[in-house]
This record gives sequence, structure tokens and C-alpha cells, in this order.
Amino acid sequence: MAMSLSSKEAAETLSDVEHASRRSALAFGYRKASPHLILWGLVWLIGYSATDLRPAHAGLIWLVLVVTGCAIGFLLGRGGSGAPAKDSWRVLGIAAILCLFVGATFTILWPVSGSQTGAFIPLLFGTIYAGVGLWLGTRFLITGVAIVVLTLGGYFYLHEHFLLWQAFVGGGGLILAGIWFRTV
Amino acid sequence: MEQPDPIIHQPVRLKIVSALKVLPEGEHIEFVRLKDLVSATEGNLGAHIATLEEAGYVAVEKDFVAKRPRTRIALTKQGRRAFADYIAYLRDIIDAA
Repeated sequence: MAMSLSSKEAAETLSDVEHASRRSALAFGYRKASPHLILWGLVWLIGYSATDLRPAHAGLIWLVLVVTGCAIGFLLGRGGSGAPAKDSWRVLGIAAILCLFVGATFTILWPVSGSQTGAFIPLLFGTIYAGVGLWLGTRFLITGVAIVVLTLGGYFYLHEHFLLWQAFVGGGGLILAGIWFRTV
Repeated sequence: MEQPDPIIHQPVRLKIVSALKVLPEGEHIEFVRLKDLVSATEGNLGAHIATLEEAGYVAVEKDFVAKRPRTRIALTKQGRRAFADYIAYLRDIIDAA
């Protein structure tokens, strides 16, 4: 590069800078999200399998799993050497807001069946991932759309095995998405 | 700035600093990931990182993970300042036209 730049060269250089920064930010976002997707994939896998085996204990199973998942997610968020503590607290805050939203929604829709509960939350998260994907990258969008489509497919076509479908296809899919995010 | 910073004013080093600049302060990026991001060969990237390290613009950390060597790079405060100055230099040229 010449030491003195024309305005055209300066504009091109600035555009290269922005391109490199965008690529890096995208890769960073995927790398940060990856362990969380794997974590919640495992939560789904265990939660839906256990609910299928012990439907009467579904509330307790999910309470334990969600609290554990949030705690591990918080620790994962703090894991990066420079991760600002306030970001981890914000993530916990978002989790609390979503729990309140789900609780409030079920309050007005009550009574809801186990399958409806088991479909609603993945649909909510799939929608959030898809929406976030419009800003953070196509892989989030694809993951969100896949969660919604698979959940609806299982709900309407696999009534009896819906929870197992959610465990292995939904949970497994999230784990695979987490691994996919690491390849960027 | 009348003349650009010669350390950053080089295409590969500029890409490296641009990629590092978007990470939160204190965050590192692994050498292998950076190699993909800036589309450089290992030797070329290593040489440019050494230049940036000598200038105090990046910090390099080497360790072992599962018995495999890992090199991680982060932008220093000095590097962030130099990058901001360089961007200001580019904008000045564009604005003056």
C-alpha cells in the first residue's frame, strides 16, 4: 500500500476494514453461542426423555434442568477471560424475563396439555433464534427455522412420540447446531 | 495524522487488527481461526503478528490444550488506539475529497 492514499483508495481500505471486522464479529458470535446451544440441546435431550418416562414429574424435572442450565450458561458466559460480568447478568435477566413470559402465557391459556407445553417453548426459542439470525448471522436463522419446523412436524404428525421426537430431534438438533457454529 | 501508521498500513496487518478490534477487550482469537479470517498462510500470518507484537499492538499467548500447542492473539489498548487513529486518517482523506 502506498503511504499516501487517494480518497478512492481510502474508501476501499475502509470497506476492507469493515468487511474483515464483520467476518470476525460473526465468527465471534457463533463461537460464543456454540457451547450454549450444546448445553440447551442436552437440557432438551434429558428433559424431554425424562418427561416421556415420568410425565407426572415433568414440572420438577424441568425446574431442576432449567435452573441447572441457567447456572451453567451463566458460568459459560463468564468463562472467557475478558467476558464482562454485566453481560452474564444480562443473559440471566433475559432468561428470567422469558420464564415470566412463558408463565404468564400459560396462565392465560390454561389448561394446556403436556404436548402443547412441550411445543410452545421450542417454538418461542426457534422464533427468537430466527429473529436474532437476521442480525447475527444466517446460521442462527437456519437453526431457528429448523426448530420451528421440526417442532410443528412432530406436534402434528407424531402425537404419541412427540416428547421423544423433541428429545432426540430437537435436543440432538441443537447439539449439532452448536457443533456447526464452531466450524466458522 | 499526516502519514499513516506504517505498522497498520499494510493489507494483512490491517485485516488482522480489523478482525481483533471487534472482540471485547481482553478476548483472544486463536491463531488458526485468525488465519482463516484474514486468508493468510501460516508463515505470512506469523510474521505479521510478530511485527504487530513488537510494536505493542497485539499480545500473544501460547499454551497447551489437551497436549496440543495453542496460540492466541488479542489487541492491546495501544493497538486499539493505533487502529482508531488509522481509521480517523482514512476518514480525513475521504472527507477532504
